[in-house]
Amino acid sequence: MRVWPIGLRARVSAAFALGALILSACVSLVSYESTRNTLFGERERAAIRATYYDAMVVGAGLNSADPNVLEAMLALDTGSDRYVLVYWEGRWHSRSADLAADGAVPVGLQEMTASGESGAQRIRRDGQPALIVGIPLLGGAVFYEIFSLAELQRTLQTLALVLTAVAIMVAAAGAAVGWYVTRHALHPLTAVAEAARGIAGGDLTTRINPDTEPDLAPLSDAFNDMADQLSRRLERDRRFAADVSHELRSPLQTLEAAASVLHKRRDTLDDRSAAAITLVTAEVARFQALVNDLLELARSDRPAHREQVDVPELAQRVCRSRSLPADLVEVAPGTPRFWYVDKRRVEQALGNLIDNANRYGGGAVTVRVGAGFLEVDDEGPGVAEKDRTIIFDRFVRGPAANFRGGTDGTGLGLAIVAGHAAAHGGDASVSERPGGGARFRFTLPGFETP
Amino acid sequence: MSAVLLIEDDDRIRLSLAMALEDEGYTAHAVATAEEGLAAQRAHRADTVLIDLMLPGMDGYECIRQMRRDDDVPIVVVSARDDTHDIVAALEAGADDYVVKPVAVKELAARLRALRRRARTVTAVPAAPTTSVLTFGDLEVRPEAGEVRLRGEPVSVTRTEFRLLCELADHPGLVLSRQQLLQRVWGHEFGDERVVDVHVGRLRQKIEDETGNPRHLVTVRGLGYKLQP
Repeated sequence: MRVWPIGLRARVSAAFALGALILSACVSLVSYESTRNTLFGERERAAIRATYYDAMVVGAGLNSADPNVLEAMLALDTGSDRYVLVYWEGRWHSRSADLAADGAVPVGLQEMTASGESGAQRIRRDGQPALIVGIPLLGGAVFYEIFSLAELQRTLQTLALVLTAVAIMVAAAGAAVGWYVTRHALHPLTAVAEAARGIAGGDLTTRINPDTEPDLAPLSDAFNDMADQLSRRLERDRRFAADVSHELRSPLQTLEAAASVLHKRRDTLDDRSAAAITLVTAEVARFQALVNDLLELARSDRPAHREQVDVPELAQRVCRSRSLPADLVEVAPGTPRFWYVDKRRVEQALGNLIDNANRYGGGAVTVRVGAGFLEVDDEGPGVAEKDRTIIFDRFVRGPAANFRGGTDGTGLGLAIVAGHAAAHGGDASVSERPGGGARFRFTLPGFETP
Repeated sequence: MSAVLLIEDDDRIRLSLAMALEDEGYTAHAVATAEEGLAAQRAHRADTVLIDLMLPGMDGYECIRQMRRDDDVPIVVVSARDDTHDIVAALEAGADDYVVKPVAVKELAARLRALRRRARTVTAVPAAPTTSVLTFGDLEVRPEAGEVRLRGEPVSVTRTEFRLLCELADHPGLVLSRQQLLQRVWGHEFGDERVVDVHVGRLRQKIEDETGNPRHLVTVRGLGYKLQP
């Protein structure tokens, strides 16, 4: 399973979100805690004050001439959230019957009040938080009052909910800020991307201006350095290929001239020498073609030098130059006469395809000129599906070439066609000709615009 | 027998090319430097000159320029360099044709023949009584006399330039393509059209008041050149 890498922007946004979440959670927790303590403390103090007051009333009732616990308790004004308990003369007294008195008062508080001290304790009653305050009265009686804290609890729950929501919103805002900030931070990188595209597209002069984004200067410098190195290396390779071909040309000229001197005299030579001289002459010619093709290929990545060219006329001329009838050229209806293309290279590419057809395909049968493309048909064995792309690579010869001994071509002809087409932004391909044979084609996009 | 002066610094090329040219029926005088070449041409004028561009001491371009000053001998550059820049520079210096090494001896001989044939038509015909004059406004071309006059003043042109001008003058107002001109003037069946362009440029400097805005020898975009009044 492939793990998708997490992008820089996503990571920065996540970090922003996490930071904001932690910060807002801390703030929320602290404020919740302090609010809670303050509220509880106030509630406790109020409860204790109220209990003292009530205890005084009940104590007064119990100290009267005819003490009646129930009456003393009923005299108290307690709301629905307060409960009163009195421990008097060894018995528990309550206003309502449902209050299990001895269970409601924690043992610790009972012991405390028994020893004459008053106290308060937080308890849970029926699952709700509550506060119980106990105050010893005269004569061994103890007054207890239970305050429900449910309402306070609800308030605190609401507060917690609000604070949680705020924390989540702050985290989301953090993520948004991260996303926004990274967009601006990464913006200068689009210039780098554009420059890289320019270089890949063949414009080796593309550079980034390091002054436009001072913070990215190391990146722009490194990029410009790389572009410099790359163009230097390409230039070196190109010069090497040119130098090699150039250096090969001088000895070839000697060979060519000397071979022609010998060739002139082959009638005076014995059969073996004459045969050898014929071989030398033929090989010199092939060597010459190879050097020219190599040099052409070394330069094929140069941009096309476009000019106005009468392409149908050019195609006819190429045919005539190879002693083929000019009416081999078929111009598709609607094809413009003048194209803006590199004349020399189109001429050479078409010539190579025709030569190729003559060598391996039993001769060109049609040369088709259509809008933006040129095609050469032959009636040879065609090109197998699997060979149709590699046949345009350097020094690749099809089975037809091998079958014929492959002594003629340089193995570079189709690579040059592909190179010239690519210089125009087009490509070269081969398909099956309807009725048998191969159909070679190369395209020349942009042929209509000067 | 036609005499060829071969200026080439590579000993082996000089030797083999001289032999091969002699086989083709030329007498070849081969020298290794531009200075020797200029001296040889002054001493015994050859009918055609073959010259390499990369020479020790004075280079081929300078040699062509100096030779051109007082000699309209056909000059063919034989160089291993095939950059447009080099070709155009050599042609602008005054060369008539340019071939890239290695050149087949047969082809070289054919080019030399074309240049000589052309040269003979100009020089061998004496001022015939039926001298025709082709007039294009203030420009006069006399094919038989080998003369060009601009506003009555004779203009000095090389043989190749003259031949090119005659070819255009023979078809007044008609567009001739670069390939047609190459074929008719240089005898190339298929060749480098830059040769035509540079010669047209050289001609314009001599017969046009403004080379950038020619009146007589005009370019017809995508088609070729024509001569007009």
